[in-house]
Amino acid sequence: MNKKSIFFKDSAFKYLVGGASMVVVGFFAMIFVMLAIRSYPSIVNDPLMVFGSTWDVNSGIFGGLPAIMGTLASSAIAVAFAIPISLGMSVFFTEYAPRRVRAALSVVIDIMATIPSVIFGIWGLWIIAPLVKNYVQEPIIGSIGFIPLFSGPAYGLSLFLASLVLTFMIVPIISSLTISLLSSTPAELREAMISLGATRWEVVRHVALPFSKLGIFAAIILALGRALGETMAVTMVIGNSFMWPFSSVSLFSPASTITSKIASELYEAVDMLHVSSLIELGLILLVITLTVNFSARLIITRISRRGATQ
Amino acid sequence: MATKLVTEKLSAWFGKKQVLKDVSIAFEERQVTALVGPSGCGKSTFIRCLNRMHELNPGARVDGKVFLDGLDIYGMDPMEVRRKIGMVFQKPNPFPNMSISDNVVAGIRLSGDARKSDLDEIVERTLKSVGLYDEVKEDLKRSGASLSGGQQQRLCIARALAMQPEVILMDEPTSSLDPASTSRIEELIRKLKSEITVIIITHNVGQAARISDKTAFLYLGELIEYNDTKAFFESPKSPITERYITGRFG
Ligand SMILES: Nc1ncnc2c1ncn2[C@@H]1O[C@H](COP(=O)(O)OP(=O)(O)OP(=O)(O)O)[C@@H](O)[C@H]1O
Ligand SMILES: [Mg+2]
Repeated sequence: MNKKSIFFKDSAFKYLVGGASMVVVGFFAMIFVMLAIRSYPSIVNDPLMVFGSTWDVNSGIFGGLPAIMGTLASSAIAVAFAIPISLGMSVFFTEYAPRRVRAALSVVIDIMATIPSVIFGIWGLWIIAPLVKNYVQEPIIGSIGFIPLFSGPAYGLSLFLASLVLTFMIVPIISSLTISLLSSTPAELREAMISLGATRWEVVRHVALPFSKLGIFAAIILALGRALGETMAVTMVIGNSFMWPFSSVSLFSPASTITSKIASELYEAVDMLHVSSLIELGLILLVITLTVNFSARLIITRISRRGATQ
Repeated sequence: MATKLVTEKLSAWFGKKQVLKDVSIAFEERQVTALVGPSGCGKSTFIRCLNRMHELNPGARVDGKVFLDGLDIYGMDPMEVRRKIGMVFQKPNPFPNMSISDNVVAGIRLSGDARKSDLDEIVERTLKSVGLYDEVKEDLKRSGASLSGGQQQRLCIARALAMQPEVILMDEPTSSLDPASTSRIEELIRKLKSEITVIIITHNVGQAARISDKTAFLYLGELIEYNDTKAFFESPKSPITERYITGRFG
């Protein structure tokens, strides 16, 4: 092959990749513009109304703050639960589990990652809700229920239950990525640490985890994105009450998220301002997820650049 | 001269495959012993039995005895063994997430019995002993991975020495380095033996002749010959050894 044809192939490839990314960017811009146009009526009506705390369709008041806060709270709680569970599982999996347990566990993780969210919803509604009500909410309310965050009554459907179901949905995401990161830790680094007299745990702590930390961070952000945008399962178990956190700040109260709000109201909304307000909430969700992703990217490039020049 | 480390009928397996057969050898204290032999003859496996790293391979097995100062290391806590018997690997492997000084004291931090001021002093003293201090003293906070290959290997030697081991095992420590770095490390090894027992694998017969007091020749998992280096090279007893040192195979 002569130089020219290699060059041609190379540039053809470049155009192909460039073209494909333009399509993606264009598509994304289209979604954004569509959301912006559809939320325009609500924005011009009152730009700040969406951040109010009251949502009253009959009086034409559409304050979406409860949904925004529900989205942030349920995702934050889910991620906070999922991080220790996933890291613990991944470390056990890569460092301690006997081979047969490992094989079984990896099948379980893979299957969990493919379960449709409506199944998580049903499972949360029928199995986890009663369990959580009897064995988590009631004992906690009974003992430390005087703290507003944990006050009663113990409804099954609640922000807490939604966070828990989200936790189960994102644990496989974080775990499977973390497992592949931990197991790709270079053997020579592990051996170096072992040869200094390190225990297994010390090898994990001083070699495998530092080696994987950026990737784990990225996995957590990916999971956070999934939790922020999850609709079906959350709508089924969160109780869809639009009072939280303004009537009660308790984690055991029913609440709502942006996604559950849109999913449960959009099909029956007739009033233009109502529709437009829901779409504006969607736009806000998109902005939240974009912000999370871009700041994560920024942090990752910062850290890896610092690592490179140090 | 006292013996430091003794193996008795040491055998090792990867799964069903036996790669070491009844190796019995006594290493002299504060001497450099070179281990030579053709590729795949079991040199690395052998020294990894001496600090109990071989048993970490899945399916690996060890049989026989290894005595450090008369105590069987297979009856001791493996972490304790590895603190006393340090190791330097073929490929320099500083911890990339740690600074130069943190690399040096990584092992000491594990045992957790050193104060901050002691650590600084250990870093300086150990880096000086491997001749790296003057080259890096301006930026001890730089990542260990940012050094040149030869500097990295000296850092790894410093990391092992900082533990004040009684024995240091080196698996072809210069095979990935340029001639200048190699001769610096050879010089360092000669200096080390005033304090430490050194066992070094090398593929370079010249290197064995230059730096070692005794030389052992392994072939197909068996110890063929073990003698003072001078005698080993001038009058090999076994014809296989002779073929090896004259470069006719391996
Ligand atoms: N992880 C492993 N699993 C199975 N067999 C192995 C493994 N590592 C090494 N072996 C085998 O054990 C034998 C001895 O290997 P070893 O690494 O000890 O040789 P060596 O003398 O150090 O060779 P080299 O000079 O090439 O480093 C070889 O036949 C090799 O194929
Ligand atoms: Mg080897």
